[in-house]
Amino acid sequence: MNRFAVAQVESPDQAVELMESKRFVSPVYKAGGLDLLDHLKEGLIEPGLLVDIRTLAGCADPIHQAEDGTLRISANATLADIARSPLMHEHAPVIAQAAHSAASPQIRNVATIAGNLLQRPRCWYYRQQQFDCLKKGGHQCFAPDGENKYHAVFGGGPCHMIHPSSLAPALSVCNAHIHVTGSGRESIPITELFHAPDQGLRSEHNLSPVEIITHITFDPVPHSAFCAVHEKQAFDWPLAMAAAALVIESGTIRSARICAGAVAPIPWPLPKVEDALRDLRIDDDGELDKACSLAADRGEPLSQNAYKLKLLPVAIRRAVQRAIARNAEAPQ
Amino acid sequence: MSMRDEHIPTVMPTTNRSANIGATLNDDTSRLEAIAKVTGAARFSRDVYLPNSLFVSFIRCPYGAAKLESIDTEAATAVQGVLDVQMSRKRGQYHGQPAGYLVADSPSAMWRGLRALNAQWKPQPVKTGITDEISGPPPVPPSVQSLLDEAENTLDTVYTTQVQTHASAETHGSVVDHHGDTAILYTSTQGTFAARDGMEEAFGIPLSAIEVRCEHVGGGFGSKLRAGKESLIAARVSAKYKRPVYLFVSRAEDHLDTGNRPSSRTYVNIGFNSDGTILGGRMQSYGGVGVGGNGGVHVPSGRYSLGELARDHTPVRFNGGAERPFRAPGAPQGAFVEELMLDEIAAITGVNPLDLRLARTTHDDFREMFTLGAEHIGWSSRAATGSQKGTIRRGFGIGSGSWERYPARAEAEVVINRDGSVEARTGTQDIGTGNRTVMAVVTADRLGIPLRNVSVRLGNSTLPIGPASGGSMTVHNVAPAMMQAADDAKNQLLALLADRLDAASQDLDIVSGEIRRGDETLMTWSQACVKAVGQPIVGRGNRTQGVARYGGAGHSRGVQFVELAVDVETGIVRVKRIVAIQVCGRVMCRKTAENQVMGAVTQGISYALFEDRILDHNLGSMVNPNLDMYKIIGTADIPHIEPIFYTKGQTGPRSLGEPPTIPTAGAIACAVYNAIGVPVRDLPITPDKILAALEGDAA
Ligand SMILES: Cc1cc2nc3c(=O)[nH]c(=O)nc-3n(C[C@H](O)[C@H](O)[C@H](O)COP(=O)(O)OP(=O)(O)OC[C@H]3O[C@@H](n4cnc5c(N)ncnc54)[C@H](O)[C@@H]3O)c2cc1C
Ligand code: SF4
Repeated sequence: MNRFAVAQVESPDQAVELMESKRFVSPVYKAGGLDLLDHLKEGLIEPGLLVDIRTLAGCADPIHQAEDGTLRISANATLADIARSPLMHEHAPVIAQAAHSAASPQIRNVATIAGNLLQRPRCWYYRQQQFDCLKKGGHQCFAPDGENKYHAVFGGGPCHMIHPSSLAPALSVCNAHIHVTGSGRESIPITELFHAPDQGLRSEHNLSPVEIITHITFDPVPHSAFCAVHEKQAFDWPLAMAAAALVIESGTIRSARICAGAVAPIPWPLPKVEDALRDLRIDDDGELDKACSLAADRGEPLSQNAYKLKLLPVAIRRAVQRAIARNAEAPQ
Repeated sequence: MSMRDEHIPTVMPTTNRSANIGATLNDDTSRLEAIAKVTGAARFSRDVYLPNSLFVSFIRCPYGAAKLESIDTEAATAVQGVLDVQMSRKRGQYHGQPAGYLVADSPSAMWRGLRALNAQWKPQPVKTGITDEISGPPPVPPSVQSLLDEAENTLDTVYTTQVQTHASAETHGSVVDHHGDTAILYTSTQGTFAARDGMEEAFGIPLSAIEVRCEHVGGGFGSKLRAGKESLIAARVSAKYKRPVYLFVSRAEDHLDTGNRPSSRTYVNIGFNSDGTILGGRMQSYGGVGVGGNGGVHVPSGRYSLGELARDHTPVRFNGGAERPFRAPGAPQGAFVEELMLDEIAAITGVNPLDLRLARTTHDDFREMFTLGAEHIGWSSRAATGSQKGTIRRGFGIGSGSWERYPARAEAEVVINRDGSVEARTGTQDIGTGNRTVMAVVTADRLGIPLRNVSVRLGNSTLPIGPASGGSMTVHNVAPAMMQAADDAKNQLLALLADRLDAASQDLDIVSGEIRRGDETLMTWSQACVKAVGQPIVGRGNRTQGVARYGGAGHSRGVQFVELAVDVETGIVRVKRIVAIQVCGRVMCRKTAENQVMGAVTQGISYALFEDRILDHNLGSMVNPNLDMYKIIGTADIPHIEPIFYTKGQTGPRSLGEPPTIPTAGAIACAVYNAIGVPVRDLPITPDKILAALEGDAA
C-alpha cells in the first residue's frame, strides 16, 4: 500500500475542487471503501489522496419517494439500507432483492449503492499485480486461454470480465437515472452509464474522474424481481443474476424489461426475451419458459464457463415468475 | 424466488445434548477463553507488536516457474525505513516460493520497499496438475484381470480430488524477541516444543535459551507442526539487528506457501457380484503434491471388506506449493473414493447402500453406528437413486472414518496455592480445539472442586512438555497426565491436612469443594488450603503412568449421514442435516467435543462443495489466493450438525481432532449421487459439474 492523504469533505463542490486541484497524484473518491481498499492493498492503484465522500451529508432520508411517485436513493445509501427499505419492497422489489442478495451482511452494512455501481471487475487476473492484462494497460487478456470459469459469456472481447454489480442490472430494468455533479451535466440514464470493453478498457463506466454520483431516481416498478444463483449462501459472487420488471394488465404481460448480470462486461439487456415475453399470459408456464430460454441465444462461452448459459435462462424464469407473483420479501 | 433457500435453516447447528448427556465427564462448560476470543481480548501471536520492532516480508516468485531477470535492491534499500534486502534464489518453481526477504522498520516502509524492488520475473513453462504428467493408469495386471473376469459386474472409473489449502484463521508467522543470550519466540504453532526444534542456528543460542509462547493459536490443521521459514528468517534477522522482529505472512502467502491437502486421482477397477459381494480388483492412485511430498490416498481403509485389491500409489510433482499434513492426511480423499464407489456398486446391483455397508463392514461398532445413524437421519424416506423428477431433489448419503490413537510423551503439573486457587500447567498449545478447557475440567474433576478455582497455563515451552496438536494427539495424551498430576496434588494436600487434623489421610476426601471424612464435612476447600498449604503444592503427572489409570484404548471410529437438496436446474447443492456419530472414548467435555465434530464436519462440507486451489494452467499462478474466490464455507452454509457420541463400553479419551472430518465429503458425494442419479466423481462438487453430469457429459 502506498502512502496517501485522506480528505473529509463537506460538499460535493469541495470534493470536486480537491479532485481537480493537482495537489495530489491521482486522487480518488472513497465511499464505503470496500472495493477501493482491495485495490490499495494489492497495489493496483496508488492514489495520493482519498476524498472521503461518505461523509457528505445526504438528505435526512437516504431512500425516499417524491410527491409525484418518483423513487430516490441517495448515493451513500448502503445495500443494507436498501434491502430493508419498506419503500423499495413495495415499489421496486427488484432493487430491494438485488441489494439483499449481494455479498454478506457485513459488506452490505458498509457498501454504498454508488460504490456498488462503480466497483471494478473481480476478474482474478485483474486483481493480482503480476498479471499485466489489457485492463491494466498490458497487451494480453489472460482469460480466454486461462482460467475462465467465472468470466463472461456475452459481449466479451477484448476483455472478458463480468460486471460484478448486482444493483446495476436491477437499476437497468427500472430505467433509473444516475444524477451526477462535477462536470456540468446533471444526469445520465443507467443504460448509458457503462460501456463495453471495445469502447475503452481502463474504466467500465462513462463518468469522468471528478464526477460524483449524488443520487439515483426511477419510477415505481411494482411487478419486478431479482434472482441470483450463488454457490454459497453468503459472501459469494453470483454465477448468474437476472432482473425483471413487468407491466401486467389483466393477467397478461404488456411489456417486460429484462437484464442479466454476472454474464457480460456490462449489465446485459435481453431484448429478445423482452419481446418474447410481451403479450404472454402470466399463467402460461410453457410459453414463459420458452421466452426465457432465449436468454442463452448467441452466447459465446469460453472454455470453462458454458454452464452459465444453462443457469441464465433459469435465473430469468425465476425472476419473471417472482415478479409475477410479486411476493415481495418482508423487510428485515 | 431467491435461490438462497429460506427453508434450509441457517441458524447455528444444533447439538445433541440429550443423546450425549451423561456420557461425558463435563456437560455444560463453555470454552474458557470464549469471551476473550469474541471480544478480541485474546492475544494471538499475530497480535504481538513489540516496541522497536522490525518487519520482514518474503520476496516471492509470482508464477509457477520463473526466472528473476532483474530486481532493484538498491532502490528498495534507498526507501526510508528499509534496512536490508537479502536474495537467495533467482528461479522459482512455484507461485509463492520465497526468493529472498526484505527488512524494514515499519509495515508501510516494508510495502514501499517491496514495490521499489520492481522485480521482473520471466515466466517459464509449467505443469500444474496430475494430468500434466499422468495420462492414465498402467494396464491392469493379469492376476487382477482374471479376478475381474470372474466377477459378474465390474466398475472401471476414476475419482479425483482438488487441492485444499489450510486457510487457518491466523496466518503463519512468528514474532521474535532476541535478548542476546535468550530469546522469546511468539509463534502460531501446533507444537510449542516442536516450534523451536532446529532453530538454534538461526538464533545463535542453545535450544534451552529459547522460550516459545503461544497463548492462543488460530488453527493450523497440520500446517503448523514445526518451525517454518517464517520463524527461521525472523530469528536470523532478530539476532542480526538485536531488535524484535515481526514476520506474519498475508492471506495470499498463506494459501501459496504454507502447505495444502494434495490433490488426488484414483483409478479403480473393481469386480463384484449382483448380490453386492465385492471380489476385489485394482486401485492405482496419484497424489498431486506440488513441489514435494507423498500425497497418499487412504484407500482401502480397512473399514469394508473389498476383496483382494492390488494397490499402488505414486506421488506426482508439479509447479505448486508443497503439500503438508492436513487434518487426517489422505483419509478424506480415500473415504470419498471408497464411499462413492460403494454407492455405485449399490446402484448397479440394486442393493440398498445401507445394507451393502452393513454387509461389508469389518467392525461391529460400525454396524451399530450405521443402524443408529440411519434411524436419526430418516434413511427409510430415501428415494432410490435417480428416481426423483422434481427441480429440488433430496439425497441421502453415508460416510465412515476411523483414526488411531498415537501415543506421545506428556507431562503435567497441578499447583495448589494457599489461597485455594489451582493452576493446571501444560506446555501444549490450544489451537482452537478446547485443550485449555479440557485441562481445567479434568483437574477440577480429579480434585473434587468447582471449575472456577482452576486456571490453566499452557502454550509455553517453560511448562511441562507435551505433544504437538497433530495426529489428534493432544487430549488423550495430556489429560491422563493432568489427571495424575491432580491426584498427586490432592494426595499431598490430604496428607498435610491429615497431619494437622490428626487424621489418617486415606479417610479424607474432597467432594464438591468440601473436605469430607465419611459423611462428615470437615471444612471447605479454601479453609483446607489456608490450613494446610504453605508453599504451593506441586502435583506431577506423566502420560505413561496416567494412561495406566485413565487412558483410553482403541480407534476412533465414526459414521456420518447426510441429507441434502440439489436444485437440478442450477446445480446448487444445499446440505440440510448431517448426523455425525463418533467414537472418541470417554468424552471429557461435551461442548468442546461436539464443537470438534461440528468443525470437522463443516470443513468436510467445504472440501466437498467449495474449496479449490486453482492454478492458472499457463503460468502456474494461483488465481484465487484470497477468501472470496477461494470459496470457503461460511456460517450461512453450515447445516444442522448433530454430533452423537458413541461411548459404549469406553473408558479413557481417544482421538477426536481429525476423525470426524474423514467421512463427510464421501457422504456428500453419495447423497448428491442419490439425488441426481449420476455420480460426480470429482471434488469439489460444483454446479457446473452437476449440470454436466445431468447432461451426460463427463463429470
Ligand atoms: C465476498 C464479496 C462478495 C460480494 N458480492 C457482491 C454481490 O453479490 N453483488 C454486488 O453487487 N457486489 C458484491 N460485492 C461487492 C461490494 O458490494 C462492493 O465492493 C461495494 O458495493 C462497493 O461499495 P463501496 O461503497 O465500498 O465502494 P468504494 O470502494 O468506496 O468505491 C468503489 C468505486 O466507486 C467510486 N465511487 C464511490 N462512490 C462514488 C460516488 N458517489 N461518485 C463517484 N464515484 C464513487 C470510488 O471512487 C471507487 O472507484 C462483494 C464483495 C465481496 C468482498
Ligand atoms: S478479462 Fe479483462 S480484466 Fe480479466 S484478464 Fe482479461 S483483460 Fe484483464
